[in-house]
Amino acid sequence: MTNSSTNKPKHGKVMSILAEVTGGKSYKAHKYSLDHTDRPSVDYGDSEIIWKRRAETTPHKTYVDLSGLSKKLASRDDQILSYFLDGSRRVFKVDDIAYAQSGGRSVIYPVIAGQIGVGCCRRVDKRVLPIKLVQEFVLSMPDVADADGKAGFWPATAKKLSECDELHRLGIEFSTILPYKTSRNNDKKFEDRGTACVQDRMIECEKRLVAELVRKGNLNQDNYLVKDGSLEYRPTAEDKADKKKYQTFKNNYSWVIGASKNFNPEVCEDINGKPNPGFIADLPLCHRTPVAEYESPMLGDIKFAVWYIRLRDKMQTRTPFDGILKVEKILVTEEENECGIDSQLVDTLSAYLVNERNPVCYGSDLRWANHIYPVYLTESYVKSRYLSAESFLHLF
Amino acid sequence: MSKLIGRVLATEKSPTTMDEFNFWTNSNLKLHAFDIVKVEHVEKSYTFGVIENISHITDAQSFLTNFISSDFGDVEIGEPTLRVGMNYAKAKVSFNSGSVYTPVHNNAKVYLATAEEITMALGLNKIQNPLVCGSLKMYEGTSEEITLPVYLNSKFILGPEGAHLNISGISGLAAKTSYAMFLMKAIQDQCLKTNEMDESVAFVIFNVKGRDLMAIDRPNDFSVDGPAEKERTLAEYHSLDLSTDPFKNVKYYIPYASNNSAKQSTYLTKNDIESYLNADQLKKFKYIYSDDKENIEMMFADIDDPAQTMESIISKIIDNDDKDFGGLSTWKDFMDKVTENAQKGSASAKGDISVLSWRKFKRVVRKAIQDDMFANAVNNSKAECRLADELKQIRKNEVCVVDIAKLPEDKQAFVFGDVIRTIYNLKLGEYDGESGVEPPSRVIIFIDELNKYASKEVPKTSPILREILDVTERGRSLGIVLFAAEQFRSSIHDRVTGNCSTHAYGRTNSIETSTRDYGSLPDTYKNMLMRLEQGDYLVQNPIFRSLLKINFPKPIYKQFK
Repeated sequence: MTNSSTNKPKHGKVMSILAEVTGGKSYKAHKYSLDHTDRPSVDYGDSEIIWKRRAETTPHKTYVDLSGLSKKLASRDDQILSYFLDGSRRVFKVDDIAYAQSGGRSVIYPVIAGQIGVGCCRRVDKRVLPIKLVQEFVLSMPDVADADGKAGFWPATAKKLSECDELHRLGIEFSTILPYKTSRNNDKKFEDRGTACVQDRMIECEKRLVAELVRKGNLNQDNYLVKDGSLEYRPTAEDKADKKKYQTFKNNYSWVIGASKNFNPEVCEDINGKPNPGFIADLPLCHRTPVAEYESPMLGDIKFAVWYIRLRDKMQTRTPFDGILKVEKILVTEEENECGIDSQLVDTLSAYLVNERNPVCYGSDLRWANHIYPVYLTESYVKSRYLSAESFLHLF
Repeated sequence: MSKLIGRVLATEKSPTTMDEFNFWTNSNLKLHAFDIVKVEHVEKSYTFGVIENISHITDAQSFLTNFISSDFGDVEIGEPTLRVGMNYAKAKVSFNSGSVYTPVHNNAKVYLATAEEITMALGLNKIQNPLVCGSLKMYEGTSEEITLPVYLNSKFILGPEGAHLNISGISGLAAKTSYAMFLMKAIQDQCLKTNEMDESVAFVIFNVKGRDLMAIDRPNDFSVDGPAEKERTLAEYHSLDLSTDPFKNVKYYIPYASNNSAKQSTYLTKNDIESYLNADQLKKFKYIYSDDKENIEMMFADIDDPAQTMESIISKIIDNDDKDFGGLSTWKDFMDKVTENAQKGSASAKGDISVLSWRKFKRVVRKAIQDDMFANAVNNSKAECRLADELKQIRKNEVCVVDIAKLPEDKQAFVFGDVIRTIYNLKLGEYDGESGVEPPSRVIIFIDELNKYASKEVPKTSPILREILDVTERGRSLGIVLFAAEQFRSSIHDRVTGNCSTHAYGRTNSIETSTRDYGSLPDTYKNMLMRLEQGDYLVQNPIFRSLLKINFPKPIYKQFK
């Protein structure tokens, strides 16, 4: 690269710089959002999660009533669910870029850009206060764009982008460029692969934030963190490499519970090992299911405890799966891994979650029946800090 | 340093304008309507706004959201997280320090103002001829609470620039009389300090209820409120730079009642009367036919007279050359003559006035003059007087209290009409040639229950209404100032209220605030009028940039409870 060519992109738009640096051809194609709007859905997609044995100290066979306990806790007016974390991303296809292949052909790949926001809020005296927000702008490019395949290419490119006048003026920085795989060995669309990269990056951000909370000593038995969505965090190879680090990773999650709004009811198996979605659908109000344990090959040796709680009466929701919260917790200690979690703890956490059913975000979010308000607020907080879609797309 | 309390809100739907803006604040911050806030604006200027309304909103999209949030209607349910909510206040722009009246910008910083800034924002800093009219409180109940004296330009209440005061508010709760008395006390205080004849003022006050105003030169003993309240009140007077003495140079006039009659014409006790007499402070007034016959028309203030027959009779009576009535000298002679005319076939019935009219005239007059105060002669040695003669002699700084509390309504009107007419003529210069007449440049007349004399329902021919209209319309230049109070301002004749430069609105009710008279007030202020505490007034004066909510201390003169 000549000196003149390194100076030249300084004035260009992001896409022209990218095309220049990677040697591709930008098509200035239509830019659009790849996100689906938040709407209630039952996730019927297949899951590799396998439900194993019961994972709590008391071997419940059927639903556990929490109404008494939740009332008792509500009257005491204290809280152990103090922190709330939610991550979200917005993904856009911002361009098509063509790279020459053998035989003079060229292949078109989409360029994916995303905004990631992970926010954490703390509840003090019934008021939810923001305490931390991580925001990132990322790009996802086909791996073939890195012609030389040298490490350091993507960070260098990201840095170069951030130096361009326009981004500099706006104070925007792309934190990284994530290459998605272009090999033909799976049938996922390139857009989805790019989106997956952004999603992974977001999960990374979430993990970092949880780790930070733990490191600061914020989380303990009186201050749990409720994370929106599943805890299915895949430990990275890096996490696993160091045994001590791996245990720290797990320990980080001692005081973390995941609360999911939607889930795949099919993966719930009854005692006989048959899928039994009806078991969840028929869950009475303020009851929880017994705790099940599952592990996923994708997640390695980490075991999860999972159970369901019904927050709202079936009569008052649209589908029987609305108003049910799926709760997850990582089995951290040896003891937990062997005998399951203490049922009393499960009951207490569940009762606190039942009390979170009010207030609701009815009217502002279609998923009101499954949302818990502090998480909804955290989500709103994160979303409020996004650069608007128009402004963001205009960068490209 | 001013305290930052919020930021300006400007959206597509509720923009900031030259007149108003909204800003958000902490929900727990205590602000009140009429509080002044300061907003950073362009060119390092500050825009000041008066708070009109404060709203609280949450993220709940509808009432249903809240209903659902209590488990579909469980009233006992609490919630572990408070719904996100905020307060936003609507403020009316009152002033910009750099005369920049462009709308304030979104997210501009909003501060509490300092005492100097408030004075400037309300336009109170450049008031000439200041006359204290109360004090205002800002940020009440917070650590930043500010109390400021409020001054009127006395030329705008006593003339010549603007005159007359109208006080409205419901009885008992508005303390209308106390407010008028407070203002008059402030005026007397000021006049006692100056020697200029141009600024001399005298007062004529009507006592219409009990003994309320019959001891205004005696100090308030605070027997009901206790010594702590006394100290607080006196401190308030000091802070307003007023003396803590009651009224000075006070004279009382009560209707004459003969010692023999069981009926008393005043609520004053015998001892009170005695002590006032000893102090040479009290006189009993009488009406003498030959001098007061011109006032007979006052008895007809409330009588409809479409054909003007009553007027014809009255003009006949006051005609000194009239063959029937010209030479009469007593009320008895007069009544005899009237009776004679009311006889069938009487001589005068052949004229243009029918017997029926005479009979109507007789009915009204006979009832009206059945009182000891309609007498044949005045005995000066017994502290008797003719009210008009006394009032002609009114001097500067004098306070004349005319007690009409115990008179029936028609006689009250008669006395009031007589006083108004006397003062009006005095200021017109009709008595200038008489000895001892040395009127002050301004005479303030205070009357409660103005609705009795100047309501919209009073017949257009009412001589008292005519006098009041004369006073309100010409008094400003003549030097007659009417301080009037009534329960419902909306019932007062438009030409009377329209000529008042200063209006004080005390506590009132919703029926009153829904009338056209209050149409220009924002709803918040209207609602506020219904909750005003005793001693709180909204005051309007041409020199104020906006309505001011003021407070005045308790009376300093003796109270009868």
